[in-house]
Amino acid sequence: MFVVRRLAAAVPALLVVSVLVFWFVDMIPGDPAVILAGPTATDQEIAAIRDFLGLNEPLGTRYILFLRGLFEPELATSFRTGRPVALEIAERLPTTLAIAVGGLLVGLVVGALSGVACALRQGTLTDTAITVLTLAGISMPIYWLGLLCIWLFAVNLGWLPAAGASTPAHFVLPILVVATRPAATFSRLVTANLLEVMGKDYLDTARSKGVSELRVILVHALRNSLIAAVSVAGVQFGAMLGGSVITETVFGVPGLGRLLVQAVGSSDYPIIQYCILMFAVFFIVINLATDLLTQWLDPRTRQPATR
Amino acid sequence: MSMLPNQTLRRVTLVLMCLATPLAVAAQPSGELRVAVGIDPDTLDPLTNALPIGNAIDLLVLNGLYRLGPTNNIVPDLATEHFYSADGMVLTVKLVTGRHFSNGDPLNAEAVAASFNRLLDPATGSIFAGLYASLGKAVAVGEDTVEFHLSEPNGHALMLLANSAAMIVNVGAAQAMGAEYGRRPVGSGPYIVEDYIGGERISLVPNPSYDGPTPATLTRITFIVVPEDGSRMALLETGDVDIAERVPPEAIPAIQALDHADVRFLPSMFSINMELVLRGALTDARVRQALNISVDRDGIAKGVLGDLGTPSVGMVGPGTQDDLRRTFEPLPYDPARARALLAEAGYGPGQLSLTMTCPTGRYIKDVQVCQALQGLWQSIGINVQANIVDRGTWSGVVNTLPDARLDNMGMVGRATAGMDYTLYRLFYTGVGANRTGFSNARVDDLLRLGRATTDPGQQKEIYGEVQQIIWDEQPFVFLWYQKQAMGVGDAVKGFEVRPDETMLFQNVTVER
Repeated sequence: MFVVRRLAAAVPALLVVSVLVFWFVDMIPGDPAVILAGPTATDQEIAAIRDFLGLNEPLGTRYILFLRGLFEPELATSFRTGRPVALEIAERLPTTLAIAVGGLLVGLVVGALSGVACALRQGTLTDTAITVLTLAGISMPIYWLGLLCIWLFAVNLGWLPAAGASTPAHFVLPILVVATRPAATFSRLVTANLLEVMGKDYLDTARSKGVSELRVILVHALRNSLIAAVSVAGVQFGAMLGGSVITETVFGVPGLGRLLVQAVGSSDYPIIQYCILMFAVFFIVINLATDLLTQWLDPRTRQPATR
Repeated sequence: MSMLPNQTLRRVTLVLMCLATPLAVAAQPSGELRVAVGIDPDTLDPLTNALPIGNAIDLLVLNGLYRLGPTNNIVPDLATEHFYSADGMVLTVKLVTGRHFSNGDPLNAEAVAASFNRLLDPATGSIFAGLYASLGKAVAVGEDTVEFHLSEPNGHALMLLANSAAMIVNVGAAQAMGAEYGRRPVGSGPYIVEDYIGGERISLVPNPSYDGPTPATLTRITFIVVPEDGSRMALLETGDVDIAERVPPEAIPAIQALDHADVRFLPSMFSINMELVLRGALTDARVRQALNISVDRDGIAKGVLGDLGTPSVGMVGPGTQDDLRRTFEPLPYDPARARALLAEAGYGPGQLSLTMTCPTGRYIKDVQVCQALQGLWQSIGINVQANIVDRGTWSGVVNTLPDARLDNMGMVGRATAGMDYTLYRLFYTGVGANRTGFSNARVDDLLRLGRATTDPGQQKEIYGEVQQIIWDEQPFVFLWYQKQAMGVGDAVKGFEVRPDETMLFQNVTVER
């Protein structure tokens, strides 16, 4: 019921988003027909292209066509390539998801391990080193970090390819770079949570029952820390989708971020509108998944909100 | 005895065959070429492609009646001869016979006429329908002749036929494939598209059914799309690519220091100018002159552009149509004279305010040049506001009709092959890309005359005078011609780039 209720609530939210997206994108400066025709086009050429693209139709008519495009994908085509938007997005989506999911998983694992290490080695050199690295990870701009990694791992060490997406090796650097911020965030979060619960009675009870220290930490203490991490993971995943614009440009990866950048540059309205709408859908789905995961991890949250 | 000549002939033939064998082997495609480009062409359909990278690929996959050579010179491709009717209203082009598209369809006069009529029909979404409108209608006459029934006399029709937009597509395949034709165009060139992954790479392989005179020289050409300059240069540094286009000024020393690659500097016909909106103070020739002579072009070219620009010596860039191009004495850098001219025109220090619109990342160091210009003009007492905007906004502003413009000038680069195409659309009263509001009766007369005449001598005289008037009238602040910097591996031989920034791979070999 919870899932159905949440999904039902998402429909009006998406409708509002669709109106805003359509309206704002239409207000972007720069006429798509002018950009497509190039700087030397005549007024007649531009008018013909506007007509061909359907830009002379009233805004309401175009909005209805935009909504119809959600159900009849062949109606929604890119201004620039003439190909269905659904096809353009479908070709790029797996790449973006691979990097975002890969980055999130690497970030979670590295963040959890380093967080545990920090909590267990408080005040030692390990703790200091990890703290410095996590602070650097949180504050370093992705763009700069990407170029730095290319310089180090591709140009100087020659271990990994600098740009492209034709082999699995091409995904290593982008995933590592996008994993940096979540890893740093999770690390700080896990450390703080572990330190908070380490002295709690339920851990002493577990220890007194003869449970090994490793199991106490990983199963009992870390599980509680993960509840907060899951909520953060949802936010991080959304941020990573948005950040794909930068990562994909630096590494020459053909994902949704690059598609969106190209579309903005050429005022390719249909691509921009459907891409942003899809990002909105992602955010709603991610939030829902985060809530469900939190409920699974923390039974207390399964109680009804009102008594 | 009578057998002797025959025996000799047979021996000679045998020897020639033996000699020819290695030549034939050498003519087989060999080696792969990898090219890092900064932008995805989005489409390879000549109907909507306007990018040099799209042109470069189309030149390998398609044929035209004519094509532009390494210096933008017109060279025959499928055409064998052409002639105009007595009244100049019908252009007849004869073409080679026996050629085929890669799908086996015949490439005859009917196919050529269909391709042109698709280009000329605005209902197909052609972005060049207006430019080519003077070609009127294409009609096939037999197997080897196409007639263009022109809508107006046009002495520059061959230049239109040689541009990439006029390359011959297989209309039947284009109709059947729809927008996918833009990804895998069916042509008659030496290569076919093997793979097109949007935003990542396009690979070409030899066309197995190619039956023309310039077969493929490489087993594969892969274009890798890397928009970020630093990453693109890294690919060249690591040897992952053989050619990287658009080396930014700051990366030139690093590429030049490589032991396996170098930077090649090539002329570009991109003429970058500040196009003035001719109203208010800018209708005064003295103000326009003051703006022009207060620009330190050499300083900008060296200090800002890192030598990737050549100070302008005429509005028309090199390679536009060199046999009709004129150049002039460089404009002096004379801020004192500029101040005096402004005072003469009634504008003391701080009394003239102007706004300019500049793009971000459209041209090499465009933002920095705008900031430099702002400083130079402020130093002669003009209040200058620089509106530095994204490409979409910039495009909208500089394409606005002069009466509706809110700014006073915009930075625009012009790079269109052909003198008529370049000058008519920019300077004929009230047409096309004439966004300055420039109007000169003599120029209008000359441009009409120049378009109608087919005599090269007359054309040279006519366009020479037009260029002189424009240089004297200064409707633009003339800035620089862009210079291309290409990172090219030592293994690459026979690589050329046209002045319109289209890379040519027809004769490229790779010797690793």
